Amino acid sequence: MYTVSSRSTDWIEIFRTDKGVVYQCDATQRLILAFWDTYTALSARDFAQFRRMVETIDVRQMALSTDLAHDVEILTPPRSERCYVLTLCEVIHLRELLSGAQTMLELNSLLRECGCRLP
Amino acid sequence: MKDLVRLRTPIKESVELALNQQIQMEMVSSSKYLAMAGWCDRNGFDYSAGFFYKQSEEERGHAMKLFHYLCDQGATAISPEVPAVAQEFDTLRSVFEGALEQEIAVTDSINRIISVCRRENDFATEELMKWYVKEQMEEEYIARRCLDLFDQIPADQIFELDKQLSKVTYDGNVFE
Repeated sequence: MYTVSSRSTDWIEIFRTDKGVVYQCDATQRLILAFWDTYTALSARDFAQFRRMVETIDVRQMALSTDLAHDVEILTPPRSERCYVLTLCEVIHLRELLSGAQTMLELNSLLRECGCRLP
Repeated sequence: MKDLVRLRTPIKESVELALNQQIQMEMVSSSKYLAMAGWCDRNGFDYSAGFFYKQSEEERGHAMKLFHYLCDQGATAISPEVPAVAQEFDTLRSVFEGALEQEIAVTDSINRIISVCRRENDFATEELMKWYVKEQMEEEYIARRCLDLFDQIPADQIFELDKQLSKVTYDGNVFE
């Protein structure tokens, strides 16, 4: 994991919601997740893995269970020292952000396959 | 803007998911065959036990082939969870009936993966899956032929039946 403290001008914005942004850095070949006023740089593989971790959280159980243990979900992105302690709402926000970014990455792949290239 | 996803791997996510599900299915098959081998062993069907021990190893080999393929292609291979499988069976025949059902389920699954590959234009994975198509043709033939033997060999010759079941092979693969 790259330690990132602030936004670089080289980053390309992939997807944005009210709660966060995902950038791509071509120089380091990393995707940068800006969430909770923090930046976490992940490889494409780790980003996909983290997205799967967020997608597989049992939000139904979080919503219905009265057990304190189900109030939050603790996630550590692969090969990262960052730790997210997420409430149900934050899990939903993070899912929206990551799946939106994934769609944009797939769109970029599709464009490349069609012979188009984004600047 | 670089295509970071493609730089990482040529395998699309839908194909990766399908292959990981297949890895799990093969490992479940391996576990089922091992349970069948154990049942045969403790009920005195030594030849059939040997047959299923071998089948169990083969299924694990099938899973590992996919596992290595995903790793080599830069995708993520997931070591699967294997749920509990049945350890007891009513008869030797029901063991072989279970084996045929399992092979049919695997064949259906392989066919589904190929349709995913075609949708995603993943010709490399489709090429790999062709090996599995041939393999399944063989596996289904053997399982079906074993069940035929139950009708051909009288029930009171159970030792002979056990012996013959372990000898069933398929050497007429039309693809080879």
